[in-house]
Formats: sequence, C-alpha cells, structure tokens
Amino acid sequence: MEDLSKLSLIEQINGLKARKFSSLELTEFYLKKIDQEKALNSFISLNENALKEAKKSDEKIAKNKNSSLEGIPIAHKDIFCIKDQITTCGSKMLENFVSPYSSTVYEKLSNSGTVNLGKTNMDEFAMGSSNETSFFGSVLNPIDPQRVPGGSSGGSASAVAANLCSFATGTDTGGSIRQPAAFCGITGIKPTYGRVSRWGMIAFASSLDQGGIFAKNALDAALALENIAGFDEKDSTSINKKVPSFLNEAKSKDKEHIVGIPKDIIEDIKDDKVKNNFYESLEILKKSGVKVKEIDLKNIQYSLPVYYVIAPAECSANLSRYDGVRYGHRCENPKDLEDLYERSRAEGFGEEVKKRILIGTYCLSAGYYDAYYIKAQKIRNLIKQSFINAFKEVSSIMMPTCANVSFKLNSIQNPVEMYEQDIYTIPANLAGLPAISIPSGKIKKLPLGIQFIGNYLEEGNLFNLSNKFQQNSNFHNE
Amino acid sequence: MKISEKILDNISSLSKIRIDEEIKSDLVKDLESILEMVEEMNKIDTSGIEPMSHPLEEADNLRKDIATKEIKRDEYQKYAPQTDDGFYLTPKVVE
Repeated sequence: MEDLSKLSLIEQINGLKARKFSSLELTEFYLKKIDQEKALNSFISLNENALKEAKKSDEKIAKNKNSSLEGIPIAHKDIFCIKDQITTCGSKMLENFVSPYSSTVYEKLSNSGTVNLGKTNMDEFAMGSSNETSFFGSVLNPIDPQRVPGGSSGGSASAVAANLCSFATGTDTGGSIRQPAAFCGITGIKPTYGRVSRWGMIAFASSLDQGGIFAKNALDAALALENIAGFDEKDSTSINKKVPSFLNEAKSKDKEHIVGIPKDIIEDIKDDKVKNNFYESLEILKKSGVKVKEIDLKNIQYSLPVYYVIAPAECSANLSRYDGVRYGHRCENPKDLEDLYERSRAEGFGEEVKKRILIGTYCLSAGYYDAYYIKAQKIRNLIKQSFINAFKEVSSIMMPTCANVSFKLNSIQNPVEMYEQDIYTIPANLAGLPAISIPSGKIKKLPLGIQFIGNYLEEGNLFNLSNKFQQNSNFHNE
Repeated sequence: MKISEKILDNISSLSKIRIDEEIKSDLVKDLESILEMVEEMNKIDTSGIEPMSHPLEEADNLRKDIATKEIKRDEYQKYAPQTDDGFYLTPKVVE
C-alpha cells in the first residue's frame, strides 16, 4: 500500500474513490500515528467512535452513496462542541464539560462524511500565540520539538504538519490559524467574518472570532472551507450569501490579480531574513503573471493596541458565563455565593485568561470606557476604512504572516512581546477580512509564511492566488 | 497608567476573580505593561470618527420571533455541578 501519511486531502478522496485503500485503513493508520507521536501533545482527546465512523463511510463508498469528504479523517480544535463529547477549550474550567449539542462546523463536516479522529490541543480559551497557555500542556512543533507550534490553534497545526491528519479545523481571533500555520509550514485560512457559523464554537471575542481550516495546500483548504462555510440561522452574524465552489475558483485560469504591497510595513520588518523572504516570494508571484502595486495602509500600526482593548473587553463579557453554577468548574465548599463565583473562576481559569478578563473589565469599567473601549472602536473603524480604500486599487494585500520563525518553549515571558506575535495577522480580524497564510521558505529549517488578505467574501481569490504561488514553488511539500 | 491596589481590587471584584496576595505585584506589572502598549492609541486623533462595534455593516439575520420549543432543561442540567428538582443549587443567598 502507498505511503498514506503524505497524501493531501484531495489525493485521499481520489484514493478512496479508486478503492486504493479504505477509510478504515486510513483511520487506523492515523490513530496509530497519533499514538506514536503522543509526545507532540497535539490532541486533548481521541474519538472512541472513529473506527465505527470509518466503517460506515466505507459502506457508503461501496454503495456509491458517498458525500463530498466521505471517509476522510479530520481533527477538530477542542473549541468546537460535539454532542455528548468533552469539549475543554484547553481549560481546567471545562475539563469535564460534556456538550449537549454540536457546533455547526462539526455538523457540516460530519454530514460531508468526515471521520472525527479527536479534539486538538489549544491555548486556553484560544488566548495565546504559542499553545503554552493550555491546561493540558504545551504542544510541540513537529519540525523542532524544542519550539512552539504557534497558537492558539497549535494542536491542529502540529497535527497536520506531523501528518496525523490531512486537514483540521481551527479558529482565528487575532491570528490563531495563520500564525501556527506559518510556524508549522502548512496552509491556514481565516475566512471573512461571518462566512463560517460560530454556533457551538466557544466564544472568546465575538466580533473577531472566525472558524477556518488548516491543510497541506491551498486546493485542499479551498475544498474544506466550502464544506464549512454558509449561512446558519443559529448565528445571526453569519452572512446570508451563496458560497461559491472555492475549489473551482482556486483552479480558475480567468482570475487576474493585483497584489498590494504596504511599503511602510514591509520596510519596517526588523528581521532581514523575513524581509528577504517576502521579496523572494513576491518574485515568485510576479513570474506567474501577478501584478503588484504599492499601497498605503494608514493607521494599521495601531492594530495591536486596538485589539488588546477590544478582544479582552469582549472576552471579559463572554467568559462571565463561567460562574461555577450552570456548568464547568466549581470550587469545593463555597462559604457563600460570592466565594463560589470568585474561587471557582480563580481556580478554573489560567493566568493568561485571568489577565485578559482583568484588562477587559478595566477598559469597560466606569471612568475608563470612553478612553479605552470607544477610542479603540473608533480606530478600528479607521483601520477598516484603510482596507476599503486599498481594495479600490488592488485585489489582495500581501504581508508576512509573522515577524519571526517559531521560538523556543518558555522563551517569551513578557506578555506584550507575546502579543506582538500577531502584529501582521490582527488587522484582518479587526476589519473582518479573509486572510490566508501559506509556506514561503525556511530560515535554518524553520518555516516562514506569507499572508494574503482579501476583500470581503473573496476567499476564492485568495485560494487562486495561493494556488498560483504553490504551482510555482515547492515550500508546501517540503 | 498605574494600577493601584484599589483599582486592582475593584476589577477583581467586578470580574469575580479572586487574586492571591502573592501574585499581585507580578500581575500589576503585566497589566501596566499591557496598558502602556494600549495607550499608543492616544497618538491618533479620532474626533468625529464613529466607533465601530462590529465588522459587518448589518447583522440583520435574526430569526423569526417564534418559540422553537427547544427547552431541554433536564438534559442541560445533567452537566451542572449541583441541581435539585430543576433548580440550580448555590450556597444560601438570603438568610
């Protein structure tokens, strides 16, 4: 039998159709590999019904009744609720939380025929850029196990990079799909805000959170995304627009691209190797016929401070639901209600989550609300307008995904230094725009990523551009 | 922005998170460094700009105001730390 580990999602679909291997064989292969690679700590829990699901898929394939992703094993970030299964969100608070319903993302992928391998590790409540804030321990980067996989969707990125699955779900509030994709040398897409339903996806910052996909290349990511995108009446912020075939758009030969280069941002890149990689990547694009134009993205440098008001403010509101009463962790022997709340939350949340709740509470408290929260919202508007103006002239914008390659575990202690990890990814979340990270080379064996930001609902355009890059380079297969 | 003990106690109380004495000084240092970064925002004049709370212009996809009868109290209460006869139990609130 051929080496199953290197197969892309689309190759697996074709292999299953051609009966080269069965879903059961594929699932058994991955479960064994996950067990062998336990030290990576990519998974929080495994799905005990995985083999049963695979057998069911094999029966459907035998009868030619297969759905679009029938029999393909997948891993889900442990932020997506699955009915009757534990969903921890990387937190002690939800260590034993069994969800009474399933997220729309999981439902859609389940209906598409995927086989759930298990739930992947993540920074606690998706707050972190290194996967070190997880209650279930750090995830290791399969390329260099002394280094972090990035975060918050570090488990999913690590799993795809280590060939423990061909694709996985993730969420991205300020870069939590794109930064780990870059650190692990894979492709990661955060779609337009509202493209993917947030129903059953545990909330961190509701105006920024968006579900997305990790995969081995742009075509796989396109196919996977079209299986989770679409309007959902259970999420009033989901967009009621038809979802095109992203795969067809990715392959289309008719799309013309004008890629915007925010010159000021690029010139300010501190690491020369990262800057050189950006310009080398640009050359690859130019050779494939893509046009390039310099643009000015005003006020984008304020994205980090704006984000660290808005995200903590929304998080402090969202996480108020964990009160030790309805579900989640409850402290022992509370002496009164106040003690119950304060100790349950102090024990259930980790340090980073508490820090963000405190910052958010401060920014929303009487006397500070206008100076922080309203001020941040005003600048957010300006940042969005900068993008809208830029997209009058260009079809996408190119930036590095991250200012550096993966760093060593426990090497960043200062919170602001950690937050700066997301300096290039946050702007797309603030504006609600789709953005993709694809591998663009390496510095001493460690992967780098470049990022394309697209106009609203133009995910197809991003896949097409990324596919053009991947047809003219081999970084995604290294 | 300096975070005084009084401010820390206030936000700890508002957010219902108890903070141990021994971590207070490190925590204050971290919170102050975050706020210092955040205060970069003051360099930009935002007079006359509308605050933006949401990336989408309109979020008008509300479903019809019809009861869905999806009340599964018993199922949901299975996961609560303590319940009794359909009620969530907490320590006594009123003496």
